[in-house]
Amino acid sequence: MSGRLAPAIGRLQSVLGLVIIIVLASALSPRTPGGELIFLQLGNVTDILRQVSEIGVMSLGMTLVILTAGIDLSVGSTLALSSTTVAMLLTGWRPGLPAEAHIWIAIAAALLVSAVAGALNGLVISTLRIQPFVVTLASMIGIRGLARRLTDNTNVDIGFGQDVSARFADTASRKLLVVGVFAILAAIFAIMLTRTVFGRRVKAIGDNERAAIFAGLPIRRTRIWVYTLCALLAGVAGVIHAAQNHQGNPNAGVSYELDAIAAVVIGGTSLAGGQGSIAGTLIGTLFMGILTNMLRLNNVDSNSELMLKAVIIVAAVWIQQARVSLFSRERSS
Amino acid sequence: MTRKTAAAVVAGAFLAGCSKKTQDTAAAKVHLVAFSQCNNAEPYRAAQNDLLARIVGQSKDLRLTITDGQQDTSKQIAQIETLIPQKPDLLIVAPNERAPLTAVMGKAMAAGIPTICLERDIVEPNYTTYIACDNLAIGRMAGQFIVDRLKAKKGAAKGKIVEIKGLLGVEGQINRHGGAHEVLKQYPDIKVVHEAVADWLQNKGRERMLEILRAQPEIDVVYAHNDPMAVGAYLAAKELGRERQMFFVGVDALGGPAGGIRKVMDGVLAATFYYPLAVDKAMEVGVRILREPGFKPEKKYTLGSEMITPANAAQMYQKLTF
Repeated sequence: MSGRLAPAIGRLQSVLGLVIIIVLASALSPRTPGGELIFLQLGNVTDILRQVSEIGVMSLGMTLVILTAGIDLSVGSTLALSSTTVAMLLTGWRPGLPAEAHIWIAIAAALLVSAVAGALNGLVISTLRIQPFVVTLASMIGIRGLARRLTDNTNVDIGFGQDVSARFADTASRKLLVVGVFAILAAIFAIMLTRTVFGRRVKAIGDNERAAIFAGLPIRRTRIWVYTLCALLAGVAGVIHAAQNHQGNPNAGVSYELDAIAAVVIGGTSLAGGQGSIAGTLIGTLFMGILTNMLRLNNVDSNSELMLKAVIIVAAVWIQQARVSLFSRERSS
Repeated sequence: MTRKTAAAVVAGAFLAGCSKKTQDTAAAKVHLVAFSQCNNAEPYRAAQNDLLARIVGQSKDLRLTITDGQQDTSKQIAQIETLIPQKPDLLIVAPNERAPLTAVMGKAMAAGIPTICLERDIVEPNYTTYIACDNLAIGRMAGQFIVDRLKAKKGAAKGKIVEIKGLLGVEGQINRHGGAHEVLKQYPDIKVVHEAVADWLQNKGRERMLEILRAQPEIDVVYAHNDPMAVGAYLAAKELGRERQMFFVGVDALGGPAGGIRKVMDGVLAATFYYPLAVDKAMEVGVRILREPGFKPEKKYTLGSEMITPANAAQMYQKLTF
């Protein structure tokens, strides 16, 4: 019975953390001249959702990777590669196609390049049996180099005119679209993880790889897919990034991988693999987003912000662990 | 062993494919110009590299090699140490940090290599000449422009300013901030209502500005320490339909479609201030050192800035786009 109850309690605890931060942010929120709480204004709430979307989309894929007891450090570089690819194809390439087709091809190419990078990660990890940390550390460096080389170190600028690139930026940066993409992908990945054979395999590999091998699960194939999906999502984030910022910047996304990992672990997914959920990751993502928004609305000094975040990350994960040990004691009694 | 061999072959092929040819050509009298760049991965520095390559490419007797310190001081020191035995005829250094680069530039001087220090000075004058850029003066010019613009807009020197800062602690950030404040603090009715740090990046400029726009109902000016952050702030204001309520001021004024001058032409920025690329001056002086045996350069050349507004943007765009 406790086996069923435990995840529910756990989720409740994570939700509680989210509630606390929302209450805190409301209480500390500055007010408009009309006396309204700025934090709770619709515009600000949707700002937060939009701001967390890039990291949020990346952290969905990161959840799968971490569930297999792996890690992917290359997603920030992949974001840069994707955003420079889409920007270059929109500004430097004149295919003579209708604008819409041009835009879709550019997006598809950026996603394809990202997915290939991820497939390579997965292939090397599962074939050469090198630790994911090492492989993705290497690809983090290599992909960054590729993005810089492709662009010659410069930003690929998306102008403010009426051309195809400006049209792409205007459309793909709309709040509803950005948040909508995040929401739909989150739903897809939540279902994939809980309702499909693939999802169960992902968890099984991280939970106990040896058992998964003896059970005859296609470990190699599953791993390759997990890293491919993770990079594909980083590619999606990259396309959004390019649109929102009107540029493809080869230096974008530095340390985004750490933000994504933080969101996943705050959401209760164990770095040891096997345990965790997309719902948890969503909570972790929102938690970090609201915290950041709260500090910034109050004009908190940026260095203090970093220190405060450090404390909160450790505290949040510690609370998650307290829950796990509490549960295991319950089970043993 | 086969695996090792295979790895070596792959690595060798890769290196052969990637490295730029650095062997000396048989013909004598080809001067090697070595440029120790502190970080290729910044648009300003990429523009420096481009301009330098263009200038060197115009002379048949000059050859260029550029090393990239990747914003890492010890890496840059090691790269200069590797350059010294190659005896370049001219060494140009854009130091990543002042103090740590001082000694290694002294080594280059001791080896008899004419050494030009670019934009940031070092602690001891271990250089043949120093090409200086003046961020403090740029800050003052920006401050004065803001005051004049506010006077024209509101009839008096009053208004609310948002300042978006570059990476904290960097010389450019400190002096672009300090210079502007020297001017602004003389006008008590001009207030900086919000200061945010965006690390020179367009996306961070946009993100910080979205939050600031929520917290500040009234903003007259956005002053950003570089153009990309100013453009990011503009994107945020545009999204909330408030971009016409304020004007945006940046610094750097790079050419090309991604640069700040283009943004002035597009009506995004009210003004930007030229931060000299400096390599053109370095080569002007450097070539004289190489070709005129009796030439004694001055110890320091300070480069001026220039204000770019819609009035002169098109002309400056032509001049500064390579």
